[in-house]
Amino acid sequence: MGILRYLVRRLLFSVVLVLGVSGIIFFLLNAIGNPIDVLMADNPGITDEALAAVKAYYHLDASVGHRYLIWLGNVARLDFGTSITTNMPVGDMLLTWGAETLKLQIPAIILALLLAIAFAAIAAMRQYSRLDFGVMSSALLGHSLPGFLLGVLLILIFAYWLGIFPSYGAYSTRNPLFGSGVIDGLWHMVLPLTMLTVFNTATLTLLLRANLVDVLRQDFIMAARASGLPERRVVFHHALRNAIIPVLTYLGILFGLMLATAPVTESVFTWPGAGALYLAAIQSLDYPVIMGETLVVTVMLVGFTLLTDLAYVLIDPRIRLD
Amino acid sequence: MALPAPKQRPPGQLQQGWQRLRRNRSGLLGLILITLVVVVALLGPWLAPYAPDDQSAMLGFASGGAPSWAHWLGTDRNGYDVLTRVIYGAPTALAVGLGAMLVAALIGILVGGIAGYLGGVADELLMRLTDLFLVIPVFVMILAVVRLFGIVVVGTWLERVPFLNLTTIVLLLGLFGWPPIARLARAEFLRLKGMDFVEAARCIGAQPLDILFRHILPNALPSLAVVIALGIGGAILSESMISFLGFGDPKAVSWGQLLYFNYQVLKVSPWAVLAPGGAIFITVLGFNLLADGLSDAFNPRLKQ
Amino acid sequence: MSDLLTVDGLRVHFFARSGIAPVVDGIDFAIRPRETLGLVGESGSGKTMASLAVLRLVPPPARIVGGSMRFQDRDLLALDDAAMRGLRGKSIAMIFQNPAYSLNPILTVGDQLIEILRWHEGISRAAARDRVAELLRLVGIADPLHRLRQFPHELSGGMKQRICIGRALLCNPALILADEPTTNLDVTIQAQILDLLEELRERLHMAMLLVSHDMGLVARMAHRITVVYAGRTCETADARSIFHAPLHPYTRALLDSAPRVDHDYEHEVHPVLKTIGGRIPDLAEPPGGCRFHPRCPEATAECAQLRPEPFQVAPGHIVSCLKRGSHGLPT
Repeated sequence: MGILRYLVRRLLFSVVLVLGVSGIIFFLLNAIGNPIDVLMADNPGITDEALAAVKAYYHLDASVGHRYLIWLGNVARLDFGTSITTNMPVGDMLLTWGAETLKLQIPAIILALLLAIAFAAIAAMRQYSRLDFGVMSSALLGHSLPGFLLGVLLILIFAYWLGIFPSYGAYSTRNPLFGSGVIDGLWHMVLPLTMLTVFNTATLTLLLRANLVDVLRQDFIMAARASGLPERRVVFHHALRNAIIPVLTYLGILFGLMLATAPVTESVFTWPGAGALYLAAIQSLDYPVIMGETLVVTVMLVGFTLLTDLAYVLIDPRIRLD
Repeated sequence: MALPAPKQRPPGQLQQGWQRLRRNRSGLLGLILITLVVVVALLGPWLAPYAPDDQSAMLGFASGGAPSWAHWLGTDRNGYDVLTRVIYGAPTALAVGLGAMLVAALIGILVGGIAGYLGGVADELLMRLTDLFLVIPVFVMILAVVRLFGIVVVGTWLERVPFLNLTTIVLLLGLFGWPPIARLARAEFLRLKGMDFVEAARCIGAQPLDILFRHILPNALPSLAVVIALGIGGAILSESMISFLGFGDPKAVSWGQLLYFNYQVLKVSPWAVLAPGGAIFITVLGFNLLADGLSDAFNPRLKQ
Repeated sequence: MSDLLTVDGLRVHFFARSGIAPVVDGIDFAIRPRETLGLVGESGSGKTMASLAVLRLVPPPARIVGGSMRFQDRDLLALDDAAMRGLRGKSIAMIFQNPAYSLNPILTVGDQLIEILRWHEGISRAAARDRVAELLRLVGIADPLHRLRQFPHELSGGMKQRICIGRALLCNPALILADEPTTNLDVTIQAQILDLLEELRERLHMAMLLVSHDMGLVARMAHRITVVYAGRTCETADARSIFHAPLHPYTRALLDSAPRVDHDYEHEVHPVLKTIGGRIPDLAEPPGGCRFHPRCPEATAECAQLRPEPFQVAPGHIVSCLKRGSHGLPT
């Protein structure tokens, strides 16, 4: 009963957050300039049809507040409007392009979490050893190395110099590599996936190792050892579970930002995902896509924050629902 | 009557922290890296081998040339000397980082400090506002705002404002980068307002503003410095990514701009991408290490 | 009767970046079956480190560097890791100082206890649960089945320490190491826990190493007492001799600084407890000779030069002090 009430309250607050953020973005973008004026200014050759479509969708005769409400009403029915540039429903576009982004991001986060657990456990169990120092130094370097720079290095080394992996795109344009569409797709994923995984692994390892070292110092770990449990079980069953709790927040942020960080990754690797879609939309002032995607990004952030909170409640018995 | 100040004061929290920071290897390395960037930024005009707008390599068909005695880091596709552009990018990066964090720190400390000190309804309202700002997809939003703003200002007086685009980016990074600082400031003010020395100050009749700024804030600063140092590195990284994506300030010399202009010729002149990339890395690493060192230095509990 | 555990010349060094600190530098003690040995010393005397060393659980960067430990006629330092693990929790169990920190906060009490029992005995979960419940009843927990489902933060401090005692008794060990088991409890609960420990030790035929800084507590519980100072054993004797005929100057100083029920403070000229002058030495740079000589009222020049060897003054009464007949070794 307690958990249900907590859930409902958190859910309501999440809805408020999404409304608030989308409102801020809507008003900010409209405050800069009326979409029609902006479109005309940037692109004098814009077709009358496109202009009419935007006008119709946004009810540009109405006030900004009124327009926001109309837009919200449409979005609530999952109608994100029609793209100015492609004339396709924005919802469909987001799904298609978003899937390409998630295809990279989800495996990258899961892979990174597994690697980070292994690295952190090794480093924490051999604290102050050379191995620990090595793992932690590389983690700190990897954490400070901007993701796109790592991508550039990967492309230079593995695509240009060694010629093993393709430098751009998600699929070959003509003949698929190795004569198989599936392997071709996987082969294209290697470099961007590596870039994302390395960065996530570095940060997660830093966080986890710090927590693990803290936890391993505690009496209940010594008590578990003094009870005759083997070190493996002490570290993975008793220590890791405690150490991973504070990392949940960061994990939630990683998942929540999957689409938000996509523009950089996808312009480094010319990857046809949601980030590339967003950049193209900004260039061509495709308002429906811009608004639709910022909303989806916000919903993901808020949604994963909510999931993180729920995970805390489920994993940590000390949290009280008040 | 005021007592005469003792000549030899015991080292305060700040001095102790500074001494620990100097002994802390990562903090020291961070400080060295940052000093390097600052020195380069200040001495730029004397250090740089060419003028920042010198595109003469273009004339000799030597644009995109490999590193040589004349151009230590090569030239880029526009004929600029890469080393010169990287040197002139340093002050831009520092200005972005410091400017954005100045705005963010002011708002964050004000919001968090008031919430933590007052508590009650004010706390609740301010922290819900912080929650709201925390989930704004800042990076994505800045891209759109910068692009739209760039169109709207054409033909207005704003167009003549120097570095308008860069200023916009800095302001936006600051205006939307304060929530983490506010959260920490709130926690610190909440913790400190219950401490004995604050009670003592209240007992001798210190005014609330006096308590806030003379008693609580100085003690909260060490913790805040950690987040601010991280934030400076983060803001520099954000600006370079925004520029890399092509939404930077075309009038400013920035590392991200160099990346943007030269990324398409990565295969033929990688130095023009790697040099500014390395500069970004060194700067961000410097601030991360400094933050790391600061948190070790001011939280002695963790370092035993 | 032969000893259950003998510890001879145990040495544990702490390897810090700044240097090596001999935190335990020659501690000897022996525990007989079914007796309570009090291991007494100030904080920093190495008594906790010595008790962890018995389980070979000295936390890095500290390490056991010398000495010998025999338990039930087995050389503990020669056992392989698996055999040592088999002893921990089964034949030698430990109770920690702070019950608030010595239970895993995110696992239920039942999960933690059942896991240990199953690990050592390889029995089914249901059978393990029954035995754990029975044991919790034994340590004075009225509704064990309910408690098993609770998390540590839902229990009071006294209840947590009862659970920790229960955890130590799970496999009916021959020896319990109790490291300041009541220091972090309310005064009213301390007596209950001590009575419980004493009663169980008697009933289950166990021996107990009671590590404490509190002479009063040890006086009440221990049959024999070993006093340690700065990583070395000063004096070992039965409790009566320690209290009525202490030999080592440090033992005397400790007793003088503890309040005693049999002492009439009101009719004394200065009705105060004595304190020991000076402070416990920095073990990174321990004093040469006898460790206690800088604070010792009886110290002479040779005390700063020679390290006193254990000397048997009477049967079962061993002291390490040059002034009491110990032979001195040059340091």
